[in-house]
Amino acid sequence: MEKLSVEEVKHIAHLARIFLTDEEIEKYRVSLAKLFEMIDEIHQIKGYDEEIMICPWQSDSSLREDKVGKMLTEEEVLKNAPCKNGRFIEVPVMLNE
Amino acid sequence: MSKYLDLSVLEIHRLYQEKKLTPKVLLEEVFERIEKRKSLNCFITLNKEEAMKEALRLENEEVGGILWGIPIALKDNIVTKDLRTTCASKMLENFIPIYDATVVQKIKDEGLLIVGKVNMDEFAMGSTSETSYFKAPKNPWNEEYITGGSSGGSAACVAARITPLALGSDTGGSIRQPASYTGLVGMKPTYGRVSRYGLVAFASSLDQIGPMTRNVFENAALLNVIAGRDEKDLTSAVQEKEDFTRLIGKDIHTLKIGIPSYWISDVVTQEVKEVFNHVIELLKEEGNQVEIVDISYLEQAVPLYQIIAMAEASSNLARFDGIRYGYRTLEAENVDMLYEKTRSEGFGEEVKRRIMVGSSLLSSEKAKIYYDKALSIRKDMRKSFLDCFSQYDLLLAPTTTSAAYKLGTSLSDPLKSFMDDVLVIPVNMAGLPSLNLPAGFNQDHLPIGIQIIAAPFEEAKIYQLASFLEKKLNLDLEGGHIDE
Amino acid sequence: MSKYEATIGIEVHAEIKSQSKIFSNAQNSYGKMANSSCTVVDLGYPGALPTINQEVIYQGIRACHLLHSTITEKMHFDRKNYFYPDNPKNYQITQNRTPIGRGGYLQIKINNEVKKIELEEMHLEEDTCKSVHKGRMSLLDFNRAGVPLIEIVTKPCMHSKEEAVLYLEKLRETLFYGDISDCKIEEGSMRCEANVSIKEVGAKTLGVKCEIKNIGSIRNVGIAIEKEIQRQIELLENHETIKEQTRRFDDKLEDTVLMRYKETGNDYRYFPEPDIPFVVLTDEMIDHALSSLQLTPDERREIYKSKGIQEINIEKLIANRTLSDYLNTYLDTELDFVIASNLLLGDILSYLHKNFIQLEQTKLTKEKFLDLVLKIKNGDLSNKNVKDILEDVLSTDASVSEIMQQKNIQNIKDSSVVIDIIQKVVTENPESVKDYQEGKDRAVKYLMGQVMKEAKGSINPKLASELLLEFLKNTSN
Repeated sequence: MEKLSVEEVKHIAHLARIFLTDEEIEKYRVSLAKLFEMIDEIHQIKGYDEEIMICPWQSDSSLREDKVGKMLTEEEVLKNAPCKNGRFIEVPVMLNE
Repeated sequence: MSKYLDLSVLEIHRLYQEKKLTPKVLLEEVFERIEKRKSLNCFITLNKEEAMKEALRLENEEVGGILWGIPIALKDNIVTKDLRTTCASKMLENFIPIYDATVVQKIKDEGLLIVGKVNMDEFAMGSTSETSYFKAPKNPWNEEYITGGSSGGSAACVAARITPLALGSDTGGSIRQPASYTGLVGMKPTYGRVSRYGLVAFASSLDQIGPMTRNVFENAALLNVIAGRDEKDLTSAVQEKEDFTRLIGKDIHTLKIGIPSYWISDVVTQEVKEVFNHVIELLKEEGNQVEIVDISYLEQAVPLYQIIAMAEASSNLARFDGIRYGYRTLEAENVDMLYEKTRSEGFGEEVKRRIMVGSSLLSSEKAKIYYDKALSIRKDMRKSFLDCFSQYDLLLAPTTTSAAYKLGTSLSDPLKSFMDDVLVIPVNMAGLPSLNLPAGFNQDHLPIGIQIIAAPFEEAKIYQLASFLEKKLNLDLEGGHIDE
Repeated sequence: MSKYEATIGIEVHAEIKSQSKIFSNAQNSYGKMANSSCTVVDLGYPGALPTINQEVIYQGIRACHLLHSTITEKMHFDRKNYFYPDNPKNYQITQNRTPIGRGGYLQIKINNEVKKIELEEMHLEEDTCKSVHKGRMSLLDFNRAGVPLIEIVTKPCMHSKEEAVLYLEKLRETLFYGDISDCKIEEGSMRCEANVSIKEVGAKTLGVKCEIKNIGSIRNVGIAIEKEIQRQIELLENHETIKEQTRRFDDKLEDTVLMRYKETGNDYRYFPEPDIPFVVLTDEMIDHALSSLQLTPDERREIYKSKGIQEINIEKLIANRTLSDYLNTYLDTELDFVIASNLLLGDILSYLHKNFIQLEQTKLTKEKFLDLVLKIKNGDLSNKNVKDILEDVLSTDASVSEIMQQKNIQNIKDSSVVIDIIQKVVTENPESVKDYQEGKDRAVKYLMGQVMKEAKGSINPKLASELLLEFLKNTSN
């Protein structure tokens, strides 16, 4: 079995927004490769119906009536936030926008 | 010392009605047993104060349904308002939900007593409960052994007779497999039978909450409480209300039962085959018809499941970023670091691995060749099961390939946790109901279970066969309970 | 611009009007206190699940109808995965593979010719939360998270800023009249992005496109496109290459500035949202959605034209929906629409502006308005009369006739009464009559003024001037 390259692991980790130490990268090079190898078994499956099933149970898509319900209090919104500022939840400055 | 907890729920109910027992007394016994069995590491968070308050409140109330005043343990991925819900992860170590899951609301309305939140694999990812941030729970039958997972704490709690009832969740066998390892009845209901609102999602299209109990009747009674359409969950099904205990006790002599060939192939160990064959003989003796059947794609079920489960998980767990709730790194100098460090420090190894695999499977052009393909084949697989149910009343199979094994065995192998679930996974893929029934023991006197699978929304039929076999097998399942 | 040709595509995000959000029952609000309009669903709490607001689906159906798009009968939602603090779940629920509408067009009129602006698709999605920057931190307000949006994407089919501006005006008008969106660009309920590329005339392939975001008005979209075309031409003329990039419009500079170069393959990892099963749009749902649609702007234009209203007034009416809606309540009456539209856009509108009120806050009933217009038409009320009585008509419960009586405005329609007045005026002003006989036009005007004065303004001036001229003619003979 081939190991994944360091770059491959780094790319995947970045997609998932997970920082990895060099040591962890080495570990995941092996274990991720094992998983991908197993998953690639599905390439052997041919001749299936291409229509997809999103979830096993297709309900009669009952839609919600357009009514306002109970909303959270300010206290509830902020209750579990590690960093808050007045009525707001705080994050490091967003540069992109 | 009183031993009310050794009574059946029906007996406890009768004592309540006759005013010979109060919920408070029963609850005190629960907390004594929790204390006595601390080494099992079942609980992550106890709800002692609130449960006591609730028990006292019930004393001023009329005795309600069968499960009124019965203690229950909840898997720690079911959110409970004002009661810590960790998913056995550092990420949610201090998370206090601001709302109740729909099942929790139903349980409270029915007057059950929530004793606490029980251990599990981190975010339900694993099959031994060893990925828990709070260390693995132990198998009450032998504490050197795994409980199975991911609902390992729920299993240990009921198997040790601490609570008569527990809720687990089953994404790829996480109720049935630990039930099999600990000698319990565990039901994964039809996908859509029970609301997922408030179940911290692992894989949305596979997850289902279900009851884990000491016997079949109590299992059906608990499903009665938690089942039903929920306006808050679009994937919950509209079904007429039914009593899942209604067929229990009715004899079975003319059933047509199918056994998928792959599930009795060499993937299963001899110890399991022996138990399973004994059940088959028993059914035949009673006049039922048992035949081998073929279901498509069972051999590839694990990789197909891995794709769907990990892809959905990678997206479902993206929300854990240290902003609105949960763990946040101290090194959040900028947005990228906030994400990468928080998630690196907050998640355990297995969870990270699955999120990474899932992210990769959805990236660029891969979504089509992996996720879409898996969804398509999943549809075919479901159809193959449904075709089978047009000819057979129920399907029967072993639940696990072996009995429980020793703690620490599987940690180094990333594939082991999936291979443990090879027999239970296809049922989640097809969205079917399936129940683990204890059916025998191995040489070390560890329990071995079988699973009974039905067409969608035919849980009552499963309970009928299960209760019939339960009576016939008449096993002593008290092995997890230390009787002093 | 002879050598080069621009190609422009426009993406518009419009906030859909509804009581509650698209996937939760929190209020769809604007301008409320921060973090006061949200539920656990909008915060992306663990275990929370989306539900679908049926009104949002109906709005989508209406948009499809108004923009001539083909409705996708069996649709699902998709997750667009990207990490950003304004994206609570770190995925946005949107539609990628099965947009609610495909194709379609809007017609614009450019240089007196009708042109179809073709659409690629439109889809439903949730809005992100709002952030305010404060020093080295950003503050998050989740009220906007989950507000329903419809994104409407054109094909790259426009070639000038004029077309783009006309398209946007037409789209805004259409969505606004369809009650689908407020389309207030200043408040962010309509957001425009333009994709601009240029190529040499006749070249078969499109040039490298640049995307312009954050444009705060339709006028600025025009400016942004013009500046972007210039910038790209200059680059090509200097033999430089155009790099694919995202730019934003800077209001102060009135120009576009670079935001970022396009990252190699933005990897959104789209996949079908497993929490929401397929949604099937039945004929019943479609009929229900369309049953509440009112007349479109173009339908109104046709009607007004057929009623004889001048083009300039037609456009003024379309620009003022309240008045247009009001006028349309008279479509099945005998109302004279020309007089009525003049009255509404003239005296009534200035009264409303002066008093800072809306039409429905006045005491103008349907009967009163019909009566008023009829009296003007029949000559019972002169323009001056109308100005005198309008305030009372709009602010009291009295009928038009009662007010006329109070103000002593008589309807002098009897010719003999008018002639009596003329007789009196002529007798009292012999010099003017003499001036008239000597051919001085001014004399008639003066006499006419005296007649109107004598009648206290309550004669139909047309009738009066006819009779005066006849009288003068007769006396001089």
